[in-house]
Formats: sequence, C-alpha cells, structure tokens
Amino acid sequence: MTGKLLIDVVRCYSPSEQEGPAVAYLVEWMQGHGFQAAIDAAGNAVGWRGPDDAPHTLLLLGHIDTVPGEIPVRVEDGRLYGRGSVDAKGSLCAFAEAVAQAVLPPDLRVIVAGAVEEEIATSRGAHYIRDRYAPDLCIIGEPSGAGRVTLGYKGRLLVDYALERPMVHSSRPEPSVGALGAAFWQAVLAWADQQNAGAGRAFEQIIPRLNGINTTSDGFREALAMTVGFRLPPRLTPDDVLGAISEFAAPDAALHGYSQVRAYQAEKNNALVRGMLAAIRAQGAQPGFVLKGGTSDMNTVGERWSCPIIAYGPGDSDLDHTPHEHLELAEYAQSVATLRHLIEYLNLNGR
Amino acid sequence: MQTECVECGAELTVPEDVMQGEILPCPECGADLEVITVAPLVVELAPTEMEDWGE
Repeated sequence: MTGKLLIDVVRCYSPSEQEGPAVAYLVEWMQGHGFQAAIDAAGNAVGWRGPDDAPHTLLLLGHIDTVPGEIPVRVEDGRLYGRGSVDAKGSLCAFAEAVAQAVLPPDLRVIVAGAVEEEIATSRGAHYIRDRYAPDLCIIGEPSGAGRVTLGYKGRLLVDYALERPMVHSSRPEPSVGALGAAFWQAVLAWADQQNAGAGRAFEQIIPRLNGINTTSDGFREALAMTVGFRLPPRLTPDDVLGAISEFAAPDAALHGYSQVRAYQAEKNNALVRGMLAAIRAQGAQPGFVLKGGTSDMNTVGERWSCPIIAYGPGDSDLDHTPHEHLELAEYAQSVATLRHLIEYLNLNGR
Repeated sequence: MQTECVECGAELTVPEDVMQGEILPCPECGADLEVITVAPLVVELAPTEMEDWGE
C-alpha cells in the first residue's frame, strides 16, 4: 500500500541527532524491497538498486531528521499529520517507494539516501555524501508540490555584532551601544535597498532580518549583542556581504559571520528536468518551476557535483516547521508515480 | 523543423534532434517554449518560475 512506509517513518520521531530508529527502519524497509541498503559511517540511511558498474547514477538525496516538536501522528480526511510529514519524510519515502516499484533502465544505478542533521547547521549527512559520491543526476528531497520542480535555493549568512564600552552618565552626548547597534542595522537596511535596486523578484534580492538585539550593563560597562541574518541571491557570496557591512560597524565592534551558504540555481535544459516535465504531465498535472527563499542540501552538494540537479517532493513548504504540518496522501501517491515514471523513461543518451 | 511561437507567432526553427521536454527560447519575444511532443512537433509556453519561502 502506497503510504504505509511514510506513516511508519513519520511515527519514528527523529529530530536532528536522534535519527537512529528512523534510519534503522528505512534501511530494513529498503532491504525488504529490492534494495541493497546499509547505515553509513555518518549515520545516513543509504539504499541502492541497479548494477554497481552502471554508466549512469541517479542519487535521490533526502533527509530523515526533522525540526523538534512532536506532532501526534494521525490520518484525517486523507491527510497525514505528523512532524516531518512534509519536511521532508514525504519526499524521502516517495523516493524509496518509487525506486522500489520502478523497472530500472539497464544502464542506471539509483541511490536513495536519507541524510541526518539537515535541519541543523552541521549538515553532517549531506557533507558525508557529498564527499563520497559523484552522481550524474541528483534530486534533493524537499517539498515542491507534486506538480512542481524546484530549481534553486537562496544563500544564507548569519552575523553576530558585539560591542562593549565603558558606562558614561546618560546626560552625556555619546551614543549608547544600543543606539550604535540601531545605526548599524539602519545602515545595513539602506545598503540592502541599494543592492536590490532593479532586482525584480525576491530570489534576486538580498533580504536582511534582525534576528535579535540585546543590551546589558554591569554598572561599569555596557554591552550590545545583535544577530543579523541574510538570505542571499546568487550574485552575492557570504564573504561579499560580510565585507560590505563591516564598513558600517563601529571601529571597536566585533563582527562574526557564520552559517555561511552560497545560493544555488540549477539549469533547466537537461535530461533530468526534461524527464520531470514529462513525468508530471504523464500524471495529468501541469508542471511548474519554483525558486525557494530558504536553503537545502542543494546548496551543499550542487556546486561540488555540478550535475543536473533539482529538488522535488510532495507537500506545501509553507507547512515546514509549523505545528500544523501535514501531507495529503493522494499527493504523496502522485509524487511516487511521477518519480517512477521519471526513472523508467529517463533518457540519458541525449544532451 | 519549423513551428510557431505560441506567444508571438514568430517562426521558430527547431533542431532535428530536439527532445521532448526541451526548452527553447523564442528568438523574437524571448518566451521560453517547452517541446510537449516531437512527432508531431508541439510546443507550449514553458512553466514559469514561481517563488516560495521555506525549503
């Protein structure tokens, strides 16, 4: 029955760094459904079908961890409620079910990987896989909707701004560290507006967000701690942004950039996208492309592998990380059929 | 092979080895056209790129 695997895997609650039982379940399921499968050294669930020496490899890279916050697992009116149902066990299980059902072309090896720690900054599972495989084609498992193909993700940068100064009487004219922090933030906003001039769509814009600002004092010194986040377009690297905004910082401030990820935008004229368009149409749907404001493992592996790559999976990403997370099981079945069609009719001999 | 742009009606020359799902830009209006079938040659406007927040 299509969907049983998904329900069982969602029942294995698996926030980042606690993926063990879900990984073990998926590996055992794949072993029972025509895959060779194992848990790799990073703790990822990995299964594969097709000849080891096949000239082409399709890697389906999902993630098996979720954000924390357990949601009681239940099916109501054809919807599966549960943490990870959309983000992104729906995609991962659709990969596994489609590969299990597909008649593989003789020249194709298909690998399904359920990576650990995608939802935390380590991305441990995807980094391990990135360094050990070199596929010809890759699909990242994230919710695009069963009829849509995700072509790109924005980049990301987090910056901590710290400033500490001796206390002075509040009647003096020197600005407080809080005022200096506010001035820095206003300068960042003005710079971002300047960068965004002429950039029509959100994917091409840099979007700053003030994640936190706090001032403290022990009576002798006052301190400011501020965190600013950025979502980055393909044309700006995290280093570009860090370099530009450091010009606005007070000379005695400390800036620390981290969680740095470059944007990635995939090509759409290749065998993988052509196959997906045909596979979506074969299910009676009208295909669409989408560019995402968040990040995914596409950012982690896309540049290294430089192969045709997309993200695909059932579900509405607006439900990611929400207490209402749920997936329509009919859409899940549609995505399984789409992926199966893709695999069975993949034309690897053209451009 | 020849066909017409479904957006502006311009004549479009398509390579003989064109493939289903291939996306061709119209040289006149710049619209992206998707090859729906090769025999007979049918093109439609390619999917547009939408935007979403999240993953």
